[in-house]
Amino acid sequence: MNLISRISARSPWLYRINAGSCNGCDVELATTACIPRYDVERLGCKYCGSPRHADIVLITGPLTVRVKDKVLRLYGEIPDPKVTVAVGICPISGGVFRGSYAVCAPIDQYIPIDVNVPGCPPRPQAILEGVAMAIEIWKERL
Amino acid sequence: MGFLGVLIRNLVAGPSTDPFPFGETFTPATLRGRVEYHPADCVACRACEQVCVGGAIRFDKTPEGLRFLLWHDSCTFCGLCAFYCPTEGITLTDDWHLAHPQSRKFAMVEEGTIPTIRCAACGAQALATAPAAALFDHPPTPAEVEEMRSYCPRCRRKVAAERKAS
Repeated sequence: MNLISRISARSPWLYRINAGSCNGCDVELATTACIPRYDVERLGCKYCGSPRHADIVLITGPLTVRVKDKVLRLYGEIPDPKVTVAVGICPISGGVFRGSYAVCAPIDQYIPIDVNVPGCPPRPQAILEGVAMAIEIWKERL
Repeated sequence: MGFLGVLIRNLVAGPSTDPFPFGETFTPATLRGRVEYHPADCVACRACEQVCVGGAIRFDKTPEGLRFLLWHDSCTFCGLCAFYCPTEGITLTDDWHLAHPQSRKFAMVEEGTIPTIRCAACGAQALATAPAAALFDHPPTPAEVEEMRSYCPRCRRKVAAERKAS
């Protein structure tokens, strides 16, 4: 068990939830992961397609009423321990959508958030900084 | 054998990956990051509060004066506040290191207060805002600005009119 913990601390898998985002932050997340210039895989991270494989969850978007139940169900499927990162100002505070009848922001009313990366959208380096912070928390949780 | 050229070029040029977070990264000079508020230059017109798209800026009347609050977790870094500010009392820096743990969520604020004073001429209560440029017929010296700051708006206009007439 100790060996598995030591190994998995070096390779947290990322999972991305779009909670009604405008796609700006998702483009920045794709930029961070997919183009060699920013290359999040240097930190040992890898995007995965299934919530059951995830270690670090990146949430974008203000949690619209329409996706709320789906996001909460998806979040419940991610095994513990997990680290949650809110990317962009929408999940953190609601941003420009705060006060709208169509959003449930801020997201920390429903999901425990560990790291916030503000910006609209944040630049890829800022996301990398947030992911690095999340990895430190992830190492403590293991 | 065309690949040899590419190989040698890449060996000489080195990796194109940005070294961050293990090294320094490139920050454009015009990048809009953390907002800075300068109470000494603020004329309290509250245009920034009016134009803020994210509703991040708030002015409150407190016993000490007029308090400015900006929450970076609601700011879109659009720069409208700095664009509409008549005196550069609010500016955007190029500091983008804003990622923070949840415990610091409500500490990501920029704060400043314009103090309430008693007018040096008439004794009425007023805000010590920066004097408008129209009060002077020449570029004011720092001493003149400080003197004008100690007056209420009505006395400012009176003093300015007297000086322009003489």
